[in-house]
Amino acid sequence: MSRKHDVNKEIENEVYCGTLPVLPKERKYGFMDALLVLSGYCIATWSYTQGSYLATLVGFKQLLIGAFLAAIFMLMVYQLPVIMSVRYGIDIWIWLRSVFGPKGNKIVTIIIILVNFPWYAVCCELFADSMENLLGLFGIQLFNGAHLVLSLSCVVVGTIIALRGVSTITWTTRILVPLLLLVGVAVVVVGFTSVPMDVIWNYQPQLAGDADKTVNYVLNIEANFAFVITLVGGMAEVPRLCKSEKSGYYAGVLGQGAAGSFFVVVGAVMAIAMQYVTGQMVDDPTLMMATLSAPILGLSSLLLVAFANIGTQAVGSYIYGVMLKSTFKKISYKTLVLVLGVYVALLCVWGKITEYFGSFLTIGACVYAPLAALLFVDFFLIRKQKIDLKSAYELPGHNAYRYSKGFNIVGIICLALGFGFTLVIYDPIQGIIHNKILFMLTPTLASFIFTGVLYLLLSKIPGIRRYIRRDTYASPDKRPFDRAKVPPRQNIFFLPLMWLLCKMAVSPYKLKIDKHNMEGIKPPFLVYGSHNSFMDFYVTPLALMPYRANYISELEGFENFGEWIYRQAGCLGTRKFINDQSLIRNIARVIKRGDIMVIYPEARYANVGTNSHLTPSIAKLAKMLKVPVVTLNMQGNYLQQPIWNLKERKGARLHADLKCVVTADEVSKLSVDEILGRISKELTYDEYKYQLDNKIVINDEWRAEGLHFPLYKCRKCGKDFAMTSSGSKLTCKYCGDSYEMDELGQLHSSSGEVIHIPDWYEWQRGFVHEEIREGRYKLDIPVRVEALPNSVNFVDCGIGRFIQDNDGFSLEFDNYRSEKHETLKFPAKSMVSLHTEYDYRGKFGPCVTLSTYDDTFFIYPTEESKDVFNPTKIQFATEYLGGLYS
Amino acid sequence: METDKELESRIDEILVAEKENKLHRMTKRDYIIAAIITAISLLGIIGGFFL
Repeated sequence: MSRKHDVNKEIENEVYCGTLPVLPKERKYGFMDALLVLSGYCIATWSYTQGSYLATLVGFKQLLIGAFLAAIFMLMVYQLPVIMSVRYGIDIWIWLRSVFGPKGNKIVTIIIILVNFPWYAVCCELFADSMENLLGLFGIQLFNGAHLVLSLSCVVVGTIIALRGVSTITWTTRILVPLLLLVGVAVVVVGFTSVPMDVIWNYQPQLAGDADKTVNYVLNIEANFAFVITLVGGMAEVPRLCKSEKSGYYAGVLGQGAAGSFFVVVGAVMAIAMQYVTGQMVDDPTLMMATLSAPILGLSSLLLVAFANIGTQAVGSYIYGVMLKSTFKKISYKTLVLVLGVYVALLCVWGKITEYFGSFLTIGACVYAPLAALLFVDFFLIRKQKIDLKSAYELPGHNAYRYSKGFNIVGIICLALGFGFTLVIYDPIQGIIHNKILFMLTPTLASFIFTGVLYLLLSKIPGIRRYIRRDTYASPDKRPFDRAKVPPRQNIFFLPLMWLLCKMAVSPYKLKIDKHNMEGIKPPFLVYGSHNSFMDFYVTPLALMPYRANYISELEGFENFGEWIYRQAGCLGTRKFINDQSLIRNIARVIKRGDIMVIYPEARYANVGTNSHLTPSIAKLAKMLKVPVVTLNMQGNYLQQPIWNLKERKGARLHADLKCVVTADEVSKLSVDEILGRISKELTYDEYKYQLDNKIVINDEWRAEGLHFPLYKCRKCGKDFAMTSSGSKLTCKYCGDSYEMDELGQLHSSSGEVIHIPDWYEWQRGFVHEEIREGRYKLDIPVRVEALPNSVNFVDCGIGRFIQDNDGFSLEFDNYRSEKHETLKFPAKSMVSLHTEYDYRGKFGPCVTLSTYDDTFFIYPTEESKDVFNPTKIQFATEYLGGLYS
Repeated sequence: METDKELESRIDEILVAEKENKLHRMTKRDYIIAAIITAISLLGIIGGFFL
């Protein structure tokens, strides 16, 4: 019983004073409770200091606007992410692990503590001042060093309250805050009654001769932005205990924007009244109150305000203790609160914190604005209000936020640049404005906007997006790609850049382009190109220069390089091996507006540098469009980067033939078969023959590595999936039969036989056809499935089952749309081929894809099935069953 | 270790609660009200330049 009780207590401690998410049923706070606690956190004697500072800048009316409207404006924006804290019952510092990485987060936490916690040393100093003044009013003389003893006693009492946990904090603030608000009201009454009301209402500061009223107003707004944004580090500990998102959010906004700001105004009223009465603008609240109040009211007010410092110290220690606990989870909450107490105590002993307070505040504001912006943009625009909680807590096997050894380089760079941006606008220590236009936005808001926009734009770059969004599985974008969207023309301003890029890409390989029958051929026309490697996309624009063109691209390319870039390059997105009527309509649109439409009809890279069979549909399309048909046969592209090993081979040489095979006159006269015949003839190729004929030497030592993917069957023992490759050798792992790939792309057996690679490839196909004809072909294996619904992200579909037999494909997977484990059927006759990858993106291994109109499913083998999963064999079977080779 | 298990079960419980819409979330109306308050504050700040 006792042990059970300890465990429960431990968990309770972890919930309220630690990192554990607070469950909805455990939430303690309604709106009023949260408002009171947060008001307790915001109401402190530094509010008076802020008020009297503002009174040196602007008149009373502008001061009111700054204190209330500027504060509320900034709070309404930067406090929005606390709804995440309420939703999941977690601190923002858990969330921030996704922005900075767990280790980066630790560094940022320490920076925040270092720059922010001196506020509490100021509290202790003010407490000591207040007590000295109080005792002075009673005529009690204090000993030397009493000031330090008093300030340290504030640290000790505040720390003890914080150590007692959230319940004591709650009760402290429940009592203290209403009383303090009453004091504030009393002080305003005293202030307004001590001097004529219009003196305060019409107050204008006496500005130096060169002072600019507009600049002062901006400084007033900036001071309020900076004042409220300093809460960002500790803004979520209280809302995470709230029962509803609205309560947590508005408690944060009003705790500081109404209660905190009210005390700022109180401070200003007293400062103005003091100046009127004594001729001096005094920012010591105790002195103001003792001078202006009735003695009894003054004393009690003074006592309460003095003790408010203890309350602030306690709430601050609690909030920052939990914040530290979120980051340094192995250290106990009590230890962390004690460390904070020691830090404040040391600052009190140092005794110069008030003198250097401005510097601390300034540096703090420079850090907080970009921090708040990162949080806001990350929450709403990048992660779309969804975090992978298990990765945020670094549970075993959940590493989405590990980034670069625990640091999210992108988030850290944005924070640093945002910090620098503030200083570029304004030097707050010297008070020098470097950029007046941006200064009008206020340095804090400008830095907030700059950092937010920078982070957002960076997240749009595909490589960076994938780096930041390793947690897409937690909140994937499920919207299907809009295939019907009218493709834009290739961007005319983008073209020179694209040509330059293409020139640079092909230059090491000495591309030569020959044009045949192209005299007088002008857009619109249809181009059918051979498809060997990514190099095709560099060669084609150069072959079509100076015209612009549109290209058909699989959605996977949109996801990889970014939709915007692909659209600028003139790409039409589609999925492979589906009947995409929207695509046909878009092709017709391209032709109708007078452009070139480029299609790679094989729809997949050549596995061994030889062409696939073409279907009559491409000839039918030409007849439908009634435009000339041009073929682009590219040689060397496969040799430069074969699909089975994506390392580039510098020895490759490129050549391309651009030829008009059907004129506009001929297209309506020739039959489909005749047109198909002409296209097929020009798009017949054999890359290894091209290599041999032109004696193209490719002598990379690793030249055969990966060749076992297309050549999977041993020629000697006949076993499937038997081959392995290493260096320039291909070897059977069962019988040991071995082949050496020479520098001209031919294979040599140990017995001296010379083998042409495409012959071996086609030899295997025959066996698959035989298996199917004899009813022996069946693949039934476990697989890992990912879906690509759009150009944004993949969606995890879990472990499923993949079956291929004479009826076609059957794919069992977790359907993320219906949230059920389902089976999709793909009839054999519905596909003439399928897309295959041998090592997808050079890191994900072999896969095949199956498509519906709204999803492309990437199917990978599991550990269990990796030895029998071969994309080439699956493709052979698909092509035969689909009728391509019947 | 006990805390790790507790953590995982809590996360699962919260995710289930989220899926089943048991959390008191901000509604579209709440966001609109927040946007209006923000816009009024901004207009007020801009108006302050003319005082």
